[in-house]
Amino acid sequence: MTRRNLIHKWMIYTLGLLPIWLLDAYILPRYPLLGCTPMLLPLAAAAVAVLEGAYAGTGFGLGVGLLWELAYAGGFGGLVLGLALAGMAMGAVSQYALSQSFPGCFICASALLAALEGLRIARGLITDAAPLATLLQIAVPELLFTLAWTPVIWLLFRAIYDKVGGARLA
Amino acid sequence: MKDFLRQNGILLLVAALLLSILIGVGAAFLGGGADPLSDVFNTVTAPIRGGIAAGLNWVEGVYGYVAHYDELHAELDELRSKVADLENQVREGQEASRENALLRDLLDLQAKRRDFTFESAKVNAWSTSNWESTLTIGKGSSSGVAKGNCVVTEGGVLVGVVSEVGLNWSTVSTIINTDIDMGGIVTRTYAAGILEGDLTLMKEGKLKMSYLPDGAQLVSGDEVLTSGRGDVYPSGLVVGQVEGVFHDPSGQSRYAVIVPKAPLGSLVEVFVIKDFDIVE
Repeated sequence: MTRRNLIHKWMIYTLGLLPIWLLDAYILPRYPLLGCTPMLLPLAAAAVAVLEGAYAGTGFGLGVGLLWELAYAGGFGGLVLGLALAGMAMGAVSQYALSQSFPGCFICASALLAALEGLRIARGLITDAAPLATLLQIAVPELLFTLAWTPVIWLLFRAIYDKVGGARLA
Repeated sequence: MKDFLRQNGILLLVAALLLSILIGVGAAFLGGGADPLSDVFNTVTAPIRGGIAAGLNWVEGVYGYVAHYDELHAELDELRSKVADLENQVREGQEASRENALLRDLLDLQAKRRDFTFESAKVNAWSTSNWESTLTIGKGSSSGVAKGNCVVTEGGVLVGVVSEVGLNWSTVSTIINTDIDMGGIVTRTYAAGILEGDLTLMKEGKLKMSYLPDGAQLVSGDEVLTSGRGDVYPSGLVVGQVEGVFHDPSGQSRYAVIVPKAPLGSLVEVFVIKDFDIVE
């Protein structure tokens, strides 16, 4: 694959990320469903990692983490490295243990979201922000609402992958 | 994984680590200010944010007009009646103010005054996380907005406090967010306490007033204002109403649950209090 093809491919993936970010940052928070807003960016990282493998998953995870840190309030930098590592892990697991399909993506997304929610619950317990029951009342609906968006995100990136993914432009 | 190592995947991880450190260091050392990368990103994307917010406001406005026309009409009639009552109260108040000024002169007291410097700002975005309650507004350091400034509605009802400032944007922690901590006072009894966000109550759109004095008599519906103690935040800003009084799990102290008066989920425009001078 030439450098030009590579740039073209990742431009398309970035364009795919754009509506997800706009939806996630500016539209869905305005209309929370039962007081809960999903977080779509980890799903995007999971979908691309599953489709493209460990190396591309790391790069795309890095990009998604950077977007998350820069565009959303209260960042401390950890998400850039965290999502890059998650992208690598999800890409490797889907290549060697799971299939590069929707079920694989769903399992990877579930694991990533569970890890993120677990970290938030741990932080809440360490800082004594609220009892475990309250933290779970926030984390569980967030995880479930987010997972409900997995098919939409998967279909979007699957469509992009079918056009420009893997070595198709080569 | 062979591909990952052959394609210098380690370099990507090193780049991610360096970016994480850069953002983390920026956030840690620029207390109140956004880290430079976030500031540039949010400054550049401000028009997108503003455009989407304006578009959604327009759609909601049209929908409200079409779907709630009768309700709007009823509300207008109710407001007209309220305006007539308030005009009567103003006339009576003017007489009382004249008398008050005269008595202050007699006692040689300094005249009461409340001077605020406001900056109006559009609300462009709401918090994306379920773990916090924040707003993004379209004014920042270029308009003189600073961390710790109070944000109110056009009616002077407290919305929150500026927690992060960029060039042309700011993040506002609403009064139900967990990082809020300010003095409050109940107008009916002058009982003072600390207004603070609580994760459990935040989901219900409420906050807590802790450290209530032992003998404080609070009833449901009591109005709560900011006390202004410490001169960090202005006094007399309306926060909300007492919903109920409860005991801490330890049973040692009581706290009140406060329902904010500001419509935190449907704000379009707010006012930042950049400076204030209050003499009481």
